[in-house]
Amino acid sequence: MTDLIISTLTQGFIYALLSYGVFITYKILDFPDLTVDGSFPLGAAVTAVLLTRGVHPYLTLPIALAVGALAGLVTGLIHVRGHVRDLLAGIITMTALFSVNLQIAGSNLTVERKVDTIFNLPFLSGISLLYRKLIVSFVLALLCKLILDAYFRTKNGLLLRAVGDNSTLVTSLAKDMGSVKILGLVLSNALVALAGCVVCHEQRSFSATMGTGQVVFGLATVIIGSTLFKKLGFVKGTTAAAVGSILYKICIQCAISLGLPANFLKLITAVLFLLILLAGNLRKGEKSRA
Amino acid sequence: MKKALCLILALVFVCSFAACGAESGKSVPVIGISQYGEHASLDNCREGFLAGLAEAGLVEGTDYTYDYQNAGFDDNIATQIAQNFSSKNVALMCAIATPAATACYAAAEDKDIPVVFTAITDPVQAHLDSGNITGTSDKLPVDAQLELIRALQPDAKTIGILYTTSEPNSVSAIAEYEEKAPAYGFTVEALGVTAQSEVTQGADTLIRKGVDCFSNLTDNNVVGVLPSILEKTNEAGIPVYGSEVEQVKLGCVACAGIDYFLLGKDTGAMAAKILRGEAKASEMEYKTISEYAYYTNSAALAQMQITVPDSIASTMQDAAA
Repeated sequence: MTDLIISTLTQGFIYALLSYGVFITYKILDFPDLTVDGSFPLGAAVTAVLLTRGVHPYLTLPIALAVGALAGLVTGLIHVRGHVRDLLAGIITMTALFSVNLQIAGSNLTVERKVDTIFNLPFLSGISLLYRKLIVSFVLALLCKLILDAYFRTKNGLLLRAVGDNSTLVTSLAKDMGSVKILGLVLSNALVALAGCVVCHEQRSFSATMGTGQVVFGLATVIIGSTLFKKLGFVKGTTAAAVGSILYKICIQCAISLGLPANFLKLITAVLFLLILLAGNLRKGEKSRA
Repeated sequence: MKKALCLILALVFVCSFAACGAESGKSVPVIGISQYGEHASLDNCREGFLAGLAEAGLVEGTDYTYDYQNAGFDDNIATQIAQNFSSKNVALMCAIATPAATACYAAAEDKDIPVVFTAITDPVQAHLDSGNITGTSDKLPVDAQLELIRALQPDAKTIGILYTTSEPNSVSAIAEYEEKAPAYGFTVEALGVTAQSEVTQGADTLIRKGVDCFSNLTDNNVVGVLPSILEKTNEAGIPVYGSEVEQVKLGCVACAGIDYFLLGKDTGAMAAKILRGEAKASEMEYKTISEYAYYTNSAALAQMQITVPDSIASTMQDAAA
């Protein structure tokens, strides 16, 4: 049972990176960014190729960040400079990335067990793989959260938050809203690709279809997180997103563990989500009545 | 109301996780079956696997119990299913289709739980050929299929094949088709699609290009919309050859294909040896099934005005519904 909790938490922490990314576009910029379905496998594709070529595992992390940032930049430029609707700009990049990913790593690429990943580097030897995965993914999720929180407090970060909340203010400050949006998309997709990179390390494989549904996952986690902590103002958006990601993974694991017929899996997951959202909303209702 | 809801949620979480902890205490070995998605061929694999265990003399309930999970073609869920099996310390994982196998193999790494896979075309390419893992490959009998098409359509020149560019099984099968087709006097017109929604458009394109017949791979996207492909090809009078019996039942004229039930049965026999401690997965070579069967659909053949030559008629089984 402990093993199960650990591996579920590990999944939650890894995918928290993706949730941060979606949090930036969806919650802060109010931009429904579909690039995610393409930038997530992009990070994994690049990582799989680099690992099989013998590149040091840690080096794959900044490279994945960079390629993800590039994907975000493309969406941003299409949207801001090309004046294409936000949804469509994301769809265009996502569609193009499908081919790009196939070109990079083929339809699937597996990393052999003898190749080192970020989860089995020397200074962590002595601990079992299960715990190593938990520690590394937790550190990554925490580090990214702290950096993001610090960034949001800077002048530039405040500007980013203003674009989604009060765009008139940004314009009145004589700042270019477009470039702030592009920056947000770059940041978001860099994180999403990083999530793809870590998943590739963890699963030792890339498949072209692994991006399918990641936007939906990201949106669900951000919404679950923000609903739960709506009344607790001191909880940071990033924390809420990470908690959402962990809860999402717990829900799926519960649905698997309940031992009901396999076909009910998605239904159970959906019901659990609904219960979480209802619990969050009711709390809000009761407080306002009091 | 709020408290009740929170309580229910907490209870569900705790109970379901605790259920996992309890099961590992039983003495009957548990087999975790992870199937990638709902699909007739994959279902046949699973049923065959269980039949294979039974044939080897293992009785469900006393010799083993099994936990069957289906990921609904979602890689993330396949990952969590595999982790669930690993945390339960199952005696063996049975993985049906490549993504399920990579997930099981990754989750089993720490505990070295044996993994037995089935329905994987190219285990070497997926790096699933060494380690505590073995199983059966569903590589298509391409030579036999080409020979069959030549026998049924002596004048045919081009074979149209639809495939999904992201399915590794299909990509390697296309390569084999293109390599072997010239020896039988065919050229292959392969058309790659990226999603199921593009398959019927792809069929239109191939029909316009004037292919003499279609030949299917075990491509999930393409096979999933086979009825709508058949609608178009029947109208155009182009015969479609399947890659396994289920497709012939749906209306393909014929196929030289493996029987997924038998494939699963072989896999079950391998798993039984591992469970009994007679062999280790790490020492067993994966098997490529060499036996395949010829199936025809008499109704579809009649519609396409194809007659089966007497020389091979006796080897054919009619699968018409």
